[in-house]
Amino acid sequence: MTASTKPSSPTGPGNAPTGTPDTASSPSRRSWWREAAALWAFGLREYRIWQSYRVNQVLWLTNLFVTTLLFFLLGKTLAGSAAQLLGPAYGTNYMSFVVIGITINVFINTNLSDPYIRIQRSYFNGTMDLFLLSPMSIYTPLLGLMTKSILDDYPRLFFTFGFGMLFFGATFNFSSWPLALLFTALFLAAGFGIGLLSASSFYLLNIKKGVEPVQFVVQQLLATLLAGAYYPVTVLPRALQWVACLIPHTYAYDALRRLLDPGAHIDAPVLPIQYALPGISPIAVDGLALLLLSLVLLPLGFLAYGTGIERARRNGTLTRWQ
Amino acid sequence: MDHIIHIEGVSKIYPGVEQSLRGTKLEWKGPALWARNLAKAARLTSSAAPPVSALNNITLTVHPGEVFGLVGPNGSGKTTLIKILAGLIRPTSGNGVVAGISLDHPQEIRKRVSYVSTTGWMGLEWPLTAEENVRFFASLCGMPTAMSHTRTEEALRDVDLWEDRDKYPSQLSNGMRQRVILARALLFRTPIVLLDEPTVGLDPITAHAVLDLIRGPLHARGQTILLTDHQSIEMEAIADRIAVLGSGAIALMGTPAELRAHLRHLTVIEIHTEEMELPPGPPPESVVATAYTERPGELEVRAWRIHGRRSDTTLAEVLDWVTQPTGRVVFLAESTPTLEDVLALPTDVRQVPDMPGVLVGETTVPEHTDQPLCDSSTDIGATGADVGSSACRPPADRVKKVEAP
Repeated sequence: MTASTKPSSPTGPGNAPTGTPDTASSPSRRSWWREAAALWAFGLREYRIWQSYRVNQVLWLTNLFVTTLLFFLLGKTLAGSAAQLLGPAYGTNYMSFVVIGITINVFINTNLSDPYIRIQRSYFNGTMDLFLLSPMSIYTPLLGLMTKSILDDYPRLFFTFGFGMLFFGATFNFSSWPLALLFTALFLAAGFGIGLLSASSFYLLNIKKGVEPVQFVVQQLLATLLAGAYYPVTVLPRALQWVACLIPHTYAYDALRRLLDPGAHIDAPVLPIQYALPGISPIAVDGLALLLLSLVLLPLGFLAYGTGIERARRNGTLTRWQ
Repeated sequence: MDHIIHIEGVSKIYPGVEQSLRGTKLEWKGPALWARNLAKAARLTSSAAPPVSALNNITLTVHPGEVFGLVGPNGSGKTTLIKILAGLIRPTSGNGVVAGISLDHPQEIRKRVSYVSTTGWMGLEWPLTAEENVRFFASLCGMPTAMSHTRTEEALRDVDLWEDRDKYPSQLSNGMRQRVILARALLFRTPIVLLDEPTVGLDPITAHAVLDLIRGPLHARGQTILLTDHQSIEMEAIADRIAVLGSGAIALMGTPAELRAHLRHLTVIEIHTEEMELPPGPPPESVVATAYTERPGELEVRAWRIHGRRSDTTLAEVLDWVTQPTGRVVFLAESTPTLEDVLALPTDVRQVPDMPGVLVGETTVPEHTDQPLCDSSTDIGATGADVGSSACRPPADRVKKVEAP
């Protein structure tokens, strides 16, 4: 080991100017730049890890194909009878209906379920210590750790749509894609808000292992059963349809199917809340509901997560190894 | 700036750790566990375990460029104190300033502090190589790419790991992994470097090399170093000042020479006996503290560690007291007390005789210069890198030779 006692050279890298000249006088811009750089580092790290396991890449594609195929075959079996349930709002092509269900489910599963899992793994692996010691915002490691899932899950969108269109007769109307993108963004924001609430339970409620309750109730229970991923909510009893209106999934499924499914109508109400607000277009109800849920859930999630971290900081339970 | 770290009356009481797992019965799973935790959260406490007092009213000042050592046994509060200074946990009470930043702003403190902990998994990313691990941390701290490449190489060379840079943590020995962690601390020229037991678990040669590193590049840059260790001998060789922690309080603090002088009136006698009864009477007056451990079995081995006042007759008096007609003395040694021995002594003995510069429970102010060694106004975050070496000067005047007691 070199134990040089000479001081750093005045012309060494320690004195090299860093960043752009104006950043010093603009702390907020500097801060944003730093957080973005950290996120990029997380992305590269995840890519590096993903790349280093070559078998994973093959398995990823295989898994993607098999899971998608499973839903399609199921959908194909039910297609004739299921199409009758779609009603005027969602057109008549069940394959198109279910493709959107699968895609959104993958998306939201990343945003909603992943934060807790990533925080949990990082905590038990001991890397949380490292992240919380860097000058990053407390939220940056959370977002950075999710990069893996985003890299893994988001590209499935193209494959699912591709498989559906190429092999199973799904058709889509992409003329309203900007609006569909907007709805998707709102939905992802609301879902991430719930994901942050879920992650906050790690520190706030000390749920360090086992099934996390927020994620379980919202995603595994309500969304799977009631939101209408694989069947329209109209098949449910009325009371359960109202329960479905409490989660963002229901509005996202409804809106995106109206926008993307050929033959769908944006004016035919499906959800009970759309019937309760006859003066407003059903798709506008979806948009307002998603906006409202995003505005409530996202800040609430950030607040809860920050409170959880602060509580752990006070209790000394922030990191695994004390 | 006459101090770079100053804390006053800092205490830390842990309400308990790993609450959700402690006392969790097997049947408490899923909703039952959630309900239990929610109920506890509602009561603003999530632990049925009694609170643990880790630090008790610590007041401490560290001066710029100083190498400050914290010595103490397990559970003495070293790691808690260092984590408070790193901004990882908050004190229960008390206040302080680290590199000009109040303890109330941990996010800002972290920009000015490099913290190395060698406990647990040490924050290593196992799918990344040694070099990638170091560079990843540089990126997280916002260091520009070109600089991170240069600094990573410098740091890995400093810890003698450049040749092994492409190895994964699983391919490195424990000591090499610790050096990767140390390399991360070398990336930045932060005003303060906190090292939590940097030599624990290392073989003597590697431990010596790590201490060389602290004495060398880190100290030469003028960075203030606060390190903890179990081994007081190592600490005495490296630190400008040392605080001995015991049960969350500072038992003794001063320069190594001062502390050794303080302990010079004491002697430590170790005696191992076999098949021998306990002494029937009280110890002689020259003995100030006694402790023994017993190993059950036919031989009834008993190991004594006796602290006495140093004199020509102490050893003989102790032997007279311990030895009995039956059994044998199988080991006998007399040595100079180490800093840990302070913790075994009664409080009144620790303070006798009075020594200038050596205090119990509060800080002393040794000689120091007015010129700051490191400019704490610049930091990792603000510059994207570090304070820059121009802000520091090598504290050659602080380097002192350790004299034998």
